[in-house]
Amino acid sequence: MKPIEKYNPAVLFLYFLLLASIAMFATNPVMVGIAFAAMNLTAVSYTRDGLGRAYLFFFVIFILTSLANPIFSHNGVTVLLVVNDNPITLEAVLYGVMTGIMILSVLLLFRVFGTLMTSDRLLYIFGRAFPKLGLLLSMTLRFVPLFGRQRRKIENTQRTLGLYKNENAIDNIKGKLSVLSAMTTWGLENGIVTADSMSARGYGIKRTRTSFSMFRFERSDAVMLTLIIISCGFIFLGIAMDRLKTDFYPRMQLPPFSLYAIMCYVIYAGLAFLPLAAKIRDRIIQRKVFGQE
Amino acid sequence: MVVIGNSAIRKILRILIPFFAVPAAVLAGVYVFEDKMYAYVSLLITILSVVLFISGFERRETGSRRMVIVVVMTVLAVVGRFIPVIKPVAAITVIAGVYLGGESGFLVGAITAVISNFFWGQGPWTPFQMFSWGLIGLGAGIFGKYLKKNKPLLYAYGAISGVLFSVIMDVWTVLWNNEDFSYDAYLAAIASAAPMTVLYAISNIIFLILCFDTIGKKLDRIKTVYGI
Amino acid sequence: MEIIRVEDLNFKYADGKQALKNINFSLEEGEMLCLCGPTGSGKSTLLRLLKRELSPRGEKSGNIFISGRRQDDLSDREAATDVGFVFQRPDMQIVTDKVWHELAFGLENLGVGQDEIRRRVCEIAGYFGMESWFERSTDSLSGGQKQLLNLASVMVMQPKLLILDEPVSQLDPIAASDFIATIGKLCREFGISIIAAEQRLEELIPASDKLLAISDGEIAAFGETRECVGTLISNEIFSSSMPASAKIYMNLTGSYKEESTERGKERTGAASDGSATAGFAELPLSVGEGRRFLSEYIKKHECAPEVVKAVDFAKAPEAPEDAKTSEHMKRSELAKTPEDALEFREVYLKYERNGRDILRALSFKVGKGEIFCILGGNGAGKSTAVCAAAGLFKPYSGKIKVFGKDIRDYRGQELYRSCVAMLPQDVQTVFVSDDYNGRHPYDLSGGEQQLAALEIVLKTEPKLLLLDEPTKGLDAGLAQSLRKRLKELAAGGVTIVIVSHDVEFAASTADRCAFLFNGEVVSVSDAGEFFTGNYFYTTAYNRITRGILKKF
Repeated sequence: MKPIEKYNPAVLFLYFLLLASIAMFATNPVMVGIAFAAMNLTAVSYTRDGLGRAYLFFFVIFILTSLANPIFSHNGVTVLLVVNDNPITLEAVLYGVMTGIMILSVLLLFRVFGTLMTSDRLLYIFGRAFPKLGLLLSMTLRFVPLFGRQRRKIENTQRTLGLYKNENAIDNIKGKLSVLSAMTTWGLENGIVTADSMSARGYGIKRTRTSFSMFRFERSDAVMLTLIIISCGFIFLGIAMDRLKTDFYPRMQLPPFSLYAIMCYVIYAGLAFLPLAAKIRDRIIQRKVFGQE
Repeated sequence: MVVIGNSAIRKILRILIPFFAVPAAVLAGVYVFEDKMYAYVSLLITILSVVLFISGFERRETGSRRMVIVVVMTVLAVVGRFIPVIKPVAAITVIAGVYLGGESGFLVGAITAVISNFFWGQGPWTPFQMFSWGLIGLGAGIFGKYLKKNKPLLYAYGAISGVLFSVIMDVWTVLWNNEDFSYDAYLAAIASAAPMTVLYAISNIIFLILCFDTIGKKLDRIKTVYGI
Repeated sequence: MEIIRVEDLNFKYADGKQALKNINFSLEEGEMLCLCGPTGSGKSTLLRLLKRELSPRGEKSGNIFISGRRQDDLSDREAATDVGFVFQRPDMQIVTDKVWHELAFGLENLGVGQDEIRRRVCEIAGYFGMESWFERSTDSLSGGQKQLLNLASVMVMQPKLLILDEPVSQLDPIAASDFIATIGKLCREFGISIIAAEQRLEELIPASDKLLAISDGEIAAFGETRECVGTLISNEIFSSSMPASAKIYMNLTGSYKEESTERGKERTGAASDGSATAGFAELPLSVGEGRRFLSEYIKKHECAPEVVKAVDFAKAPEAPEDAKTSEHMKRSELAKTPEDALEFREVYLKYERNGRDILRALSFKVGKGEIFCILGGNGAGKSTAVCAAAGLFKPYSGKIKVFGKDIRDYRGQELYRSCVAMLPQDVQTVFVSDDYNGRHPYDLSGGEQQLAALEIVLKTEPKLLLLDEPTKGLDAGLAQSLRKRLKELAAGGVTIVIVSHDVEFAASTADRCAFLFNGEVVSVSDAGEFFTGNYFYTTAYNRITRGILKKF
């Protein structure tokens, strides 16, 4: 096993997609619990920057989703209290809490996804399927920082020319708008050089352009892909055959613990902890090869 | 795909299938599928409709200059999303749609969603944003002739597209959060998102008032000078 | 074999402007052609017509043959691959976000397969030494690297003819000479034919085999480089842009022809690479050739260096240091008045808390009415210094005084009201209105934009004018008009601070110069003294005459 980010982006993409889908659609507290534990640890080990702030936001989402369900869903038999003739049931609260945890896990998962699926990886996937769209995305990514820099340059120049005359809000907005306008002109007029540069290198002479990427599909990618497909297939089969379903209404039941279900839990845990395991393994190996810090 | 001779019918179908049949299928899915399956189905269908549109774009030829202009407009929208509180994304998409046509409008909206989410966070909401903003741009392209001439209509379109965006995104919120698609929850979501919806609508109108003519003039100039 | 032949090419733009008249020339495989001409002479139009995809719209007659075939008969693929084109602005011609992707872009368009692209992209990156920045985003590169990337991503398509439209005009001198060396190498080692247009010809001319000069859309000269320089040196439009060696030769030998035939007879075996036509062989082009010529001249004529110097200056229209006339003396007097227009006192500045110091203990004074020029390499902190003087960056230690008042004591917009103004490096940032005297600013040529931006900046009626790289991309003529304008302003009492790479411009414009290195001023002196004192950072003229006409 190699560090997770070294895998082919398509494998990574599929991995995250399936992991999230299972968490979202299994409706199984054990699965959600596994995803929650795994994604918290993974997020901490992969995306430490700004995680605290993210957690604050996630907590708000959690509270909102957990509250929303019992307010709108009046199924369930164990009535806790009655508000405006509407019963608030224990089952709805529990379901809400599970949904909240599920959403939290998925949000964390997408946070990790966002860190690992850098723009060039996502571009590789888009580009393979849609070469022209891939090109548009790549061009946009190239232009965004260029525009950002130009905006700062224009602002600086205009400040010395007295654009922001008085420091009040209206002048400020007016100034910002004329900077936006200047940027538009700049981009459109100079973009023609970019367009010419594209034509000069044969853009559009062939209807089907290739979309090149430095990423390769190695043997280890094939192994990982097979592994992911087989294990997720197994779990999805379980979902389809209602082997994993946990009913909350009318009365909450315990999640299933059949052999099949337990196998699913183990496999899912294996999948969900994969990035963390890869990271720990990599640490140990690095330490072996290069010595202590 | 089935070959349809009449280009007008083909064109109508191309618009009808992804943008009317597909949402209808989402709603049908809501009733047909149990549990959370319709959340999945709606996500799937949203992705498919975006894919369908993009495939059309892939098959056509697009000149390098048009590509660059689409990119410039997209970058403006992406950079604009960093403006606090009021966001010009939809307004710029509308301008692109009106002046460059529906396809370019769609692309500006959809690509803005993908790229700006590199900064704002990718997630299952990305396809929905692509779809909503894309639709706003496409609509602006289809009604471009009228929107260009009739300012009140333009502002109305801006307001409607703000509401439309909110409504589509709320469908997703509800499907994702709740075990059921209930109208109560949906209405509640819409109600709780109402301040945002109003903000979207207002910022669309503000940015259309401020930018439509300025940017439009620049686009018109570019189109004539560089022959697009 | 002839790589390109142009026959009776005429071109008229759609708006009726005749851009090119009866252009005839040809180029052999493996030759480098230098295309020169003032701004607006039709250089760009000609270059664009040579590349089919970029042909401007208009009325064209005549023929262009690429490798013996009519341009119109080439297939799309051949037209795209056989002729490569590199543009002026490094930033705008990059299409994609990653270096490796940019290299692959052309091949993607041709529909080449993954493995073939990988092989060719890696090979070209290896050749151009791009491994260390192969995976970086294109936005993080320096100007020189960007232009090299543009060259490489054209070369990856394996062109036979490479066309470069002012490729180094936006680069600093070091990156520019690296780039010229690189294309020279491509030409010699791979037999690629090159057509390059440029404003600054000091380095390009010695490297090229042929020269094509056009003015007003017509050929002024075409042929072997030396021969052409010989003809153009006495041409009013072109003489100022010819290499300094050739100018000195002209000044000393008077009429070029008579001297050359005479010298042709009694050749001493010096400066001759054998390729030039006999009779033109003596004309020095590079600095090295210039120095050889000069020492031999002194030996042969047995005259004192001072006499030679006098003869040279007498004929030079604007010999750098002696151009400092009484007007300069007058302003130097003014500069001695107690009040300084701008003073930096031990200024320290950095961009980030833990970043490195961009300016360190930077101290200098600029007197009222002076033209002060700050020179220095890339990243020396020149631009930062002027931006700090314009109040855009705040130093964390030290003082900046503008007209005796601490810059921090200027409230609000006070600093920019009839006080300080700056012409930024990127003059397009000046244009917020789409209308400049009835024209769209982007319809103006690069040089015109520069002058227009200057006029807009001057509208604030500054007493202290800061200019950041004002001659970037200007041809000799426009640089001359800029110089004139600046001198007028200085005479009117405006203090001018110029930050520049352009030693030639600084030498002929500034009263005093400072050399900035690593954020501090290393030397300050009067312009003349400054340039004779420097060894590397000096004008071509000084490099030729150092130790021969002047002792140092």
